[in-house]
Amino acid sequence: MSALLEVDHLSCGYAHQEIVHDVSLTVERGEFCALLGLNGCGKTTLIKSICGLMPVRAGRCLVDGQDCTPLNERQRALRMAYIPQRGSLIMGRTVLEVVLMGFNAQLHLLASPGRSHRKAAMEALDRLGLAEAAGRDYETLSEGQKQLVILARTLVQDAPMLLLDEPDSALDFVNRNMVLGKVREILHTQGRGGLITLHDPNFALAYCDRLLLMKEGRILQSLPLVNAARETVETALAGIYGQIQVLCHQGGFVMVRRTEEERSEADGTL
Amino acid sequence: MSGEKQRTKRVCAAYLLAAAALMIAVTVSFCVGKYPISPQELLALMTGGEVKEMTRKVFFTLRVSRTWMAVLSGAGLGLAGAVYQIIFKNPLASPDIIGVSSGANLGAAVAIVAVNGVMGSVAAGAFAGGLLAVALVMLLVRATRSTATSTYVLAGIIISALSKTGIMLLKYFADSEAHLAAMEYWTMGSLAAVTASRVWEILPYWTVGFAGLLLLHRQIQLLSLNEEECQALGVRLKPVRRTVLALSTLLVAAIISVTGLISFVGLIAPHIANLMIRRRDTHTMLLSSLIGAVVMVASDILARALYAAELPVSTLTTLIGVPVLVWFMCRRKEGRI
Repeated sequence: MSALLEVDHLSCGYAHQEIVHDVSLTVERGEFCALLGLNGCGKTTLIKSICGLMPVRAGRCLVDGQDCTPLNERQRALRMAYIPQRGSLIMGRTVLEVVLMGFNAQLHLLASPGRSHRKAAMEALDRLGLAEAAGRDYETLSEGQKQLVILARTLVQDAPMLLLDEPDSALDFVNRNMVLGKVREILHTQGRGGLITLHDPNFALAYCDRLLLMKEGRILQSLPLVNAARETVETALAGIYGQIQVLCHQGGFVMVRRTEEERSEADGTL
Repeated sequence: MSGEKQRTKRVCAAYLLAAAALMIAVTVSFCVGKYPISPQELLALMTGGEVKEMTRKVFFTLRVSRTWMAVLSGAGLGLAGAVYQIIFKNPLASPDIIGVSSGANLGAAVAIVAVNGVMGSVAAGAFAGGLLAVALVMLLVRATRSTATSTYVLAGIIISALSKTGIMLLKYFADSEAHLAAMEYWTMGSLAAVTASRVWEILPYWTVGFAGLLLLHRQIQLLSLNEEECQALGVRLKPVRRTVLALSTLLVAAIISVTGLISFVGLIAPHIANLMIRRRDTHTMLLSSLIGAVVMVASDILARALYAAELPVSTLTTLIGVPVLVWFMCRRKEGRI
């Protein structure tokens, strides 16, 4: 069986500037992949082009073997869901109503969500521990809860592929862990694929199955984290973040900055 | 879930209040005017009792069509205003924002100067002008290939500015004072010249616009999200937005072709609706349309009753709208809409 998401020699960018050059990558079912790279390396552009939010210059992007580049928004929304850095300002709507927006692509243009949709939306909220909040005003929630509601909306959208663009950027440490933990759990239990861009590599190391390291619009390396050797991870991350050190911690990895002393020490041993 | 019950109660109360206000306003509107009709006579008219021939004539040829037009125009402007505030994500947006009223104004001015405003030429000119202006805005947006909603605002500013220049030139070269006066009066709005046939003429356009917007209510709510989020949820941004703007333009152009420019109703009705129910959903759209109708009918009553001659209706929509808005603004709680 082919991969869930297959990006095939994709180039994209703005009218006069190509940002992402000839990128190919795959994401399997039930796999949570992180796209890591410095600011301006083209992570967001790549994610947006995959979702069809930015024009593609060359290449294709397949979900379940079907090319999504020529599809319209509605057809695409049935195949992939997108979570932005920060949701829109939504005023005067209840949490349940916000989740129900996720059914848009499945509903007829003029139809309204019915009882079965409400039930499914409540189930999605319940899964994320937000059933109590269903009747509350969305704007009264904390940023972390808002992201969970958006996640619930994405769940009812029922697309096999989830694309997340720094969904954690407005969240504090606790909420960040909670949201990423929930995303990971959902991907693994429901067999969906996830591609996420993150600023903090430590969160990627903690929650993702594979890292895609990006630099200057190209993917340098695809690095599975399961059973990876510490040295491999360190060399790969150093290729992007420079003077760093990767430590083993509770069966996972943690990335820290090298101090001046360690740097000179490392130079000395060379 | 008690919050939900309370919310439902508040929405119901708001509908009841607005509907009651509209009933009262419509009843008063039937009675007030240069030839007053007493409540007894009104009752007799309704139940088919004995009334003077003159009363019957005034009621059926003048009052009914005039009141009916006030309801239609207020409801249409209220709905269109709510839709524009939602899709432009801007509390100051009103249907004027993409040029429909300045286009209509130019169309009316051309009709006044070119053919002395004979027959229905002013209405036809205004209607065509409004539609043409928005069509140009859409072409301009299309030429930029932009997906941003703000492009419509910019294009609207450009087309409005061009229309205003056209009006200025027409005024400058208008050969008689009568033309100038007619152009000025048109911008103040009035329901004095409304006839039943005029109402029937615009009713199809009004109905298509009004019903179309209501049918698309779910898409309109989704357009309030960021463009990218909206597209990711499967909203076909460009065609849906174009359809919504076309429907609301049809609605507004149909109305102002008969009434002339009416200020403030489209801007204020959605705010009153928001403040009443503290929601931004389909109920806001419906309630805004009811409130628009109330404001419009009440303004038209005062336009007939305040002074020996008729006052321009736009002065009164503002005078009625402002206190109501101020009252709701003072009542709102911190941190709410």
